[in-house]
Amino acid sequence: MKATRIDHVGIVVKDIDSALATYTRNFGFATDAKRGADLPALGIKNAFMPVGESDLEFIQPTSPEGPVAQFAAERGEGTFMLSLEVDDIDAAVEHLRAAGARVGNPNNGVAFVSMKSTHGVNLQLVQRR
Amino acid sequence: MGVGATHIDHIVISTNDSGTVAQTFADNLGIEIKRKMIRPGTSAQLAFAKLQEVVLEFAGPPQVQPGEEVKAKLWGMVLAVEDVDAAVAHLRELGYAVSDPRPAVQPGARIASVKDGTSGVPFGVIQYNAIPAEGS
Repeated sequence: MKATRIDHVGIVVKDIDSALATYTRNFGFATDAKRGADLPALGIKNAFMPVGESDLEFIQPTSPEGPVAQFAAERGEGTFMLSLEVDDIDAAVEHLRAAGARVGNPNNGVAFVSMKSTHGVNLQLVQRR
Repeated sequence: MGVGATHIDHIVISTNDSGTVAQTFADNLGIEIKRKMIRPGTSAQLAFAKLQEVVLEFAGPPQVQPGEEVKAKLWGMVLAVEDVDAAVAHLRELGYAVSDPRPAVQPGARIASVKDGTSGVPFGVIQYNAIPAEGS
């Protein structure tokens, strides 16, 4: 098992439109219009800005429930999550579990690693192909 | 007009034990730790891995406290820019508090820290090949 690429960095923000405007105007990034959505089931809305071969994902909580809302309540805005690309999500999860890590079941090519297994880093694994 | 960023140069994971956290990532995620060093001046213990164009930096204090629970968090990131002086001037013009560019631990590079206005994300900008090598 080998993580191959930084897929994206998740950034929790209070106002996604304001954050996107700031990063566009001041840093020169562009929002990827093909991705990002209001996701009521997850209690968030998100948007992506490509920077080289990785993305910044801006995430605004839209519900008081869930990990994003909890992060925002406890820490305000900031770096929330690191997403690493792997070649085979099922093999990666199996490998991590065999090593004693707690990992959620893969869903649509995405799996979350428990922060207890990463010393506190919020880590996501993603299979793109 | 932006800062002229070409890519995320590095992402910093802040920890109280950089060696242990880097080793956990190496063992569990197959990430190769390519370099370890002590930061001149602060004596911070640093470990570096590279995933394609992005460096993952594990940064910890000079001394690990025995018996202390190992903790880590995703901290911030540094953008690679074509001209660090122009990036700093651009951000200052917009009202950002930005440090003066200084030599980075990466050979030949200069780095500056953006201190606010980034949605809570500690940000830096770095330019490689900014300092001519000695003798060149």
